[in-house]
Amino acid sequence: MEHELQRVGRAIHAALPGRGHHPLRALDQRAMELAAGDQELRAALFRFVDVTPACRSLEDLARHLADYLHEVDERPPPLQAAMRVSGTRAGRTALGAAAAAGVRHMAHRFIVGETPAAAVKPIRRLWEHGAAVSLDLLGEATVTEAEADRYAARCREALDTLAEAAPAWPGRPVLEADSHGRVPRVNLSVKVSALTPLLRPDAPEVGREDAARRMRPLLQRARDLGAHLHIDMESVNTLEATTDLVFELLDEPELSDGPSTGIVMQAYLRESGEQLERVIDWARASDRRPPLVVRLVKGAYWDHEVVEARQHGWTPPVWEEKAESDRSFEALTRMLVDARGHVRPAIASHNLRSVAHAIAYNRATGGRDADLELQVLRGLGDELAAALVAHDMRVRIYCPVGDMVAGMAYLVRRLLENTSNESFLGDQQRGVPIDELLAAP
Amino acid sequence: MSFANEPVLELRRAPVRESLLEGLSALDARLPLEVPVLVGGEAGAAAGLDSTDPGDPSRLVARAGRAGPAEAAAAVEAAERGSGEWSSRPAAERARVLSGAAARLRERRLELAALQVRECAKPWREADADVCEAIDFLEYYALAAVELEEGRALVQAPGERNTMRYVPRGVAAVIAPWNFPLAIPCGMTAAALAAGNAVVLKPAEQSPASAHALVEALHGAGVPPDALALLPGHGDAGAALVADPRVHVVAFTGSSAVGLEIVRAAAETPDAQPHLKRVVAETGGKNCVIVDADADLDEAVPEIVYSAFGYAGQKCSAAARVLVHEAIADTLEERLAGAVAVLRVGQAERFATDVPPVIDEEARERVAAYTAAAAREGGIAARAEAPPGGGSFAPAVLATGLPESSPVLREEVFGPLLAVTRVPDLDAACDIVDSLPFALTGGLFSRSPGAVERVVRRSPVGNLYVNRGTTGAMVGRQPFGGNRRSGSGSKAGGPDYLLGFVEPRVVTENTMRHGIPVE
Ligand SMILES: Cc1cc2nc3c(=O)[nH]c(=O)nc-3n(C[C@H](O)[C@H](O)[C@H](O)COP(=O)(O)OP(=O)(O)OC[C@H]3O[C@@H](n4cnc5c(N)ncnc54)[C@H](O)[C@@H]3O)c2cc1C
Repeated sequence: MEHELQRVGRAIHAALPGRGHHPLRALDQRAMELAAGDQELRAALFRFVDVTPACRSLEDLARHLADYLHEVDERPPPLQAAMRVSGTRAGRTALGAAAAAGVRHMAHRFIVGETPAAAVKPIRRLWEHGAAVSLDLLGEATVTEAEADRYAARCREALDTLAEAAPAWPGRPVLEADSHGRVPRVNLSVKVSALTPLLRPDAPEVGREDAARRMRPLLQRARDLGAHLHIDMESVNTLEATTDLVFELLDEPELSDGPSTGIVMQAYLRESGEQLERVIDWARASDRRPPLVVRLVKGAYWDHEVVEARQHGWTPPVWEEKAESDRSFEALTRMLVDARGHVRPAIASHNLRSVAHAIAYNRATGGRDADLELQVLRGLGDELAAALVAHDMRVRIYCPVGDMVAGMAYLVRRLLENTSNESFLGDQQRGVPIDELLAAP
Repeated sequence: MSFANEPVLELRRAPVRESLLEGLSALDARLPLEVPVLVGGEAGAAAGLDSTDPGDPSRLVARAGRAGPAEAAAAVEAAERGSGEWSSRPAAERARVLSGAAARLRERRLELAALQVRECAKPWREADADVCEAIDFLEYYALAAVELEEGRALVQAPGERNTMRYVPRGVAAVIAPWNFPLAIPCGMTAAALAAGNAVVLKPAEQSPASAHALVEALHGAGVPPDALALLPGHGDAGAALVADPRVHVVAFTGSSAVGLEIVRAAAETPDAQPHLKRVVAETGGKNCVIVDADADLDEAVPEIVYSAFGYAGQKCSAAARVLVHEAIADTLEERLAGAVAVLRVGQAERFATDVPPVIDEEARERVAAYTAAAAREGGIAARAEAPPGGGSFAPAVLATGLPESSPVLREEVFGPLLAVTRVPDLDAACDIVDSLPFALTGGLFSRSPGAVERVVRRSPVGNLYVNRGTTGAMVGRQPFGGNRRSGSGSKAGGPDYLLGFVEPRVVTENTMRHGIPVE
C-alpha cells in the first residue's frame, strides 16, 4: 500500500503543470513568498488586505498601508519605496491605486466571480477541462434576520442559475456517475452561520431551529432541481448546531428521497474519529439515496480554535502538531473509504501525500477511481486539480463567489493558509524534495 | 508570579450544560437557604431580609438576617480583636488559607453558579465566570501578598540601611454589590485579608446567599471567626460601618451616588479617630464604544451587542453608548438594530437567553423611565420584547438620535439600553468621552494603528478595549477599575491593588559606630 501510494504520488507530481507560465500568478506568488519569510511583514500584509474593502478612498487605502508598513522593522526595497511615496497626497493616490489593484488581483485568484451569473462562464470552462465545481457564496457575517434571509435568497438564486446553465454542458462521464449512480452537475456549498443570526455555542438548538427554517426550502429546491447541497463545517462553536441540523433535516420524511447532500468532517479535531463513526452509523442505518457525501478536510480554523481555547484555559479541541492532523486525516480516509457502500467519500486536500494515500487505499481495497471524489480550493489547488484530471480522477473545485467586501474574511484565511510555515503548499513552494513531501506523517 | 486563571466551563459541550442544570435542580431542592448575621463566630437569626429570584418573585432564594448599626458596631469590635492575631501571621500562612478557600469554592462551582442564576438572575456563562473570578482573586492576592511582604528595594548609601515594608491597616469594611455576587465581595475581602486586615463584609441586600457561601469558604479554610464577619442587611448597616472610627479601610463597589456619600462620610475624622480612613472605591460608568470608519462591523456588531446586553447591561463595564463615524453610521445602526431585535429576553436559567431579567422592580422602573425618555428625545431603533410573567423583565432597547444633553446619554442606566450617537470624526468621539464625568471602560473598533494610538492617548478610561467587547476583565490580565468619578483608580486583580489595604513603613538605621560602618 505504501509502495502504491509513493507511485501514485510521484505520478501526480509529474503531471503538475509547470509553474511560472503565468506572469501575474508569479507576481502574487512572489508577494506571498516575501510574506511567508517574515512574520511582521506577513501581519502587515494581512491587515492591509483585510481593511481594503473598508477604505473610503485610494488615499485612505494608502494611509492604512503606510501605517501597517510603519510597524515592520525591515522592509524589502519595494515596500521602502512605497513608504516614501506615501508622504505626499499624489503619491498616496498612486500607491492606493497600485495596492488596490494588487489586492483585487489576489482576490480574483481565489474568487471565481462577483455573482453566480458571472461565475457561469468560468465554471463551464472548468467543466470542459474535466473538473466539476462546488459554488460557495461569500458573505459578511450574519447578525440580523434580514441578512440571513438575503443569504438564503442568494443560495436559491445560485441553485437556479446553475441548474439553468448545466444542461448545456458537454457530457463528462467521470464527473457524472459513480457506483451509486448519478452525481449531480450542480453543487452548492452553504454555511449554517450565514443562515441564522442566532448561532450560540451555549444554546445550539436556537440557531439550529432558526437555520432549519431557511435550510429546508433550499434542500427542497435542490431536490427538485436534482442539485447537490453541501453543508460546510465551521468552528467548534457551531459544530453541534451544524451536525444536528443536517441529520434532523435529512431524517424528515419530506426530504427522504433527496436531494444529494453532504457534510464535512474535520480531521484536526481530536474527536473526529468518533464523529465520523457516528456519521457512518447514521448512513448505514438510514440507507439514504442518494448517499450522503462526506467531505473530509483537515480543518480551516486551527488558529482560532487554539487561541480561543488558550484564552479560556481549555484543552484545544484540535491536534496541536501538524503531523497528528495528517495522521488523523489518513485514518479517517480509511474509515470513509471502507464505508463507501453507504457514503460517498470526498477527499479535500492540497497535500499530495494525503491525496495519494486516499487514491492508493481506495484502489488497494478494490474501489474504482470513480468512487472517490477529490476536492480542491480554487486558487490554491488549481495545479493539483489539473494533474488529477490528467489521471482521470473525479475532481471538484470549490469556487467562492462574491464581491471583495463579502469575500475578505475568506481571502485572508486562504492567504494565511498559503503562507503558513506548516502547510504542504508552503513546503512545496520552498522546494522541499518529493521524497519528503510524500513521507508518511 | 505563577498565576493562571481558573478555566471557565466549556458550555459549548452538551454534557457540561447538563451538569449545570442538575446543579440547579439540586439547589432548588434546598431553597430557601439560611443566611445568618455572623459576628465573632456567633450566628444570629436568619430572618428579616428575604432574597428572591428576579425572574420569579414567588421563589424565595434565601432568608437572611438583617444587620443594623448595633450589629455593625459589634462586628467592628470583634474585627479589632481578630485583626491582631490575623495580622501577626506571616503572609505565606495567610496565603495558604486563602488558597484553601479557593479550593473550597472550586469544589462547589456548579452549585455556586446555580445560586447566582437564582439569586441574581445571572445567566450561566456569566455566573460561571463570576465563580472563576472569585477563585482567581483568592489565588492572585494570596501570591501578591507574599510578594508584597518582601517590601521594596531602596537606594542604599554607606553607613545606613534603608528598608521599606508594608503592614496591614487594621479593620476593613467591605461593602459589595449584587451584580458580581461572589467575585466582587470576594475580591475586596480576599485583598484585605491577604494583606493582613480583619474584614467586616456587608453584601448587597439582593445577594446575601452568595456572600454567605464566600464567608463559609474562608472560615472553613481557616480565617479566624473574629477576622471575618458577615452582615447581611441594608444601607444602614453599611453606613454605620463607614462612620465607625475603628474602621481603617472602606472598600466599596457600587453606584456612584453611594460611592460619593462614602467618600464624604469617610473623610469625616472625629477627634477620637487616630487615623485617616482610606477608601477603595469602584463606582459607575457611562461606557462608550467608538466605531471608526474602517472598523470591521462583522466583529463590532456582536461584540457591542454582548457588551451592552449581556447580563442585561448590569455590569459596571457594560457598553452604554456607541459613538460611530458618520461614514458608516447607517450600516452600523441597521445591523445593530437587526441584532438587537433578535435578542431573546428570558429566564437566566435558559441557555438560550441573551438578556435575563434585571435585578428587581426598582431597576425595571428605572430602565423603563430612561427608555421612555429615549423614545421622547430621540428614537427607538430596535427593541426585543420581554416575555410576559412576573419577573423583572426589561426589554432590550437600541436608541438613536438623542441630543447630547439627554440624561439617557449622560447618566448611568445600568440596564439593557444602548444609545448610538453619530460623530464626524474620532476627535469628536474623544471630545464626548472627555465630557463625561465617568471614566471606567471604553471600546474602540478601528483597523488603523494611527487611530488606535490617538484614541489611546486621549482616553481617560481605566480600561480601554480595542477591537473587542468592553466586559469580561480577567484577574491578572486586565486589572480592572475606573478613573474620574468612576473610582479611586485602584485596579482590582492587578499588581497594585493590595496597596490600598496596607500602610507603607520605612526604617532607616544608622549602621555607623564610632565612625566605622558595621555591617
Ligand atoms: C474543497 C475544500 C473544501 C473545504 N471545506 C472546508 C470546510 O467546510 N470546513 C473547514 O474547516 N475546512 C474546509 N477546507 C479547508 C481545509 O480544512 C484545510 O484548511 C485546507 O484544505 C488545508 O489542508 P491541506 O490538507 O490541503 O494542507 P496541509 O498543508 O497538509 O494541512 C494544513 C492543515 O493542517 C492543520 N494544521 C496546521 N497546523 C497544525 C498544527 N500545528 N497542529 C495540528 N494541525 C495543524 C490545519 O487543519 C491546516 O489547515 C476545505 C478545503 C477544500 C480543499
